[in-house]
Amino acid sequence: MGIIDKARIYSPWLYHLHCGGCNGCDIETLAALAPRFDVERFGIQLVPSPRHADILLTTGCVPKQFIPMVKRIYEQVPDPKVVVAVGSCACGGSLFYDDAPENYAILGSPDLLIPVDVYVPGCAPKPEAIINGVVQGILKLAEKASKKE
Amino acid sequence: MIDPIFTIVSLVLIIPIALFLGVIYQYFFRKLSARFQWRVGPMLRMYGDLKPLLGTTRLLQPLYDILKLFGKKTVVPEVSRKKLFVSSPYLSLLFAILAVLFIPFPGMPLLSEAPYSLIIASYLLIASILFTILGPVASGSPWAAIGARREVELFLVSELGFVLSVFSVAIARQTLVIWEISKGEQTLYLALLSVTAGALMLAAMMGKLHIKPFDMPEAEAEIVAGPYTEYSGKLLGTYYLTKVFMLYALVGLFISVFLPPLASSILWLPLYIVAALLILFLLTAVQVLNPRYRIKNAINWYLKVLAILAVVNFVIAVYIWLVL
Repeated sequence: MGIIDKARIYSPWLYHLHCGGCNGCDIETLAALAPRFDVERFGIQLVPSPRHADILLTTGCVPKQFIPMVKRIYEQVPDPKVVVAVGSCACGGSLFYDDAPENYAILGSPDLLIPVDVYVPGCAPKPEAIINGVVQGILKLAEKASKKE
Repeated sequence: MIDPIFTIVSLVLIIPIALFLGVIYQYFFRKLSARFQWRVGPMLRMYGDLKPLLGTTRLLQPLYDILKLFGKKTVVPEVSRKKLFVSSPYLSLLFAILAVLFIPFPGMPLLSEAPYSLIIASYLLIASILFTILGPVASGSPWAAIGARREVELFLVSELGFVLSVFSVAIARQTLVIWEISKGEQTLYLALLSVTAGALMLAAMMGKLHIKPFDMPEAEAEIVAGPYTEYSGKLLGTYYLTKVFMLYALVGLFISVFLPPLASSILWLPLYIVAALLILFLLTAVQVLNPRYRIKNAINWYLKVLAILAVVNFVIAVYIWLVL
């Protein structure tokens, strides 16, 4: 493993994409970043621009109005990248998802639009579960990077 | 007397030293601000069971961030002026490294023995900051434009403090050569001047390094990532590298101009490191205790507080020049 591959595992930067939902998962995500769990111990940082990110952390189900933004933000994250879907809504639409009749406002989970690598189920998942999901994401990131070379 | 071989060897050697020390300074900065905020921060010793996956220490965390950015794909926006957008991070890094060469390190005078080295070093630092403004302006992003505009305003007012503090010492010591300033002996009046001029320089450093009350150019979340919004991959990594060299250069300049003779002999090296960490402690304390100013407040603060300090400073400097 080269030094750059190691650095990839050592400093994953998160971009938090709130697609649309009840805000519960966002509160838990922020709790995971706050002093009690403090992911900066392992070099994980929250970045303000998707262009700086390695891991895209999505919460909530996608409203139809938000479809272009989700696609665009996914494309703005430079390769190699990993998407972690947090919460029941992001994993499968949860209670907002209907087969028939179709919901007029909500599309469903973000994996209908962008490839999701890691799912963290729960309504809302605990910060420990989110951190575990991010760690799985980091491992996938390293795997993806080594495959490309 | 200048020994050419020693100078060339030290010029090659100073770049890795500056990189290493800059990374350590940034690590110290991050760790200390984490401790202030009741967090752990990047770990000095990793937990035993996580060592195989996550490494034994994160002392070089800022360097890992930079290395990772160099391993990522670089996105250049369609709407940007591509030449300026791509070249300015590299030019900024080049000028920061050149500035490092003019700042003495204990035991290594480097190019600081050259005539007018104080003026050259301050111009090189200005040039480096100028290219951190030009690149974002060329990116075509409104967030970067807002960030760059704030950076220009902050740069202009903080430059005032920087010039007044550094050149008051030059007036008092009657030389523009950094090496002569850093070798000079201390007297009571010069020590008094160092206090006022050092306070001015710290205020200027806060603006140049974007320490908290003056971090409005980057203003995370408020204007996305400020000037760096559109930068990614290698180009962003280059800007982060510039920041590392800039931190080293400003701390080194502070010590060599205001705390002589700490930057002159190799025997002073331990004290040099202690002084650097003390300066960083002061900057971190300011960073964690303050919220973000608006740009208007920052300019007001700089002009009002700096004006008083600058007058006191100037009176002491002229008194030393004329009377002593």
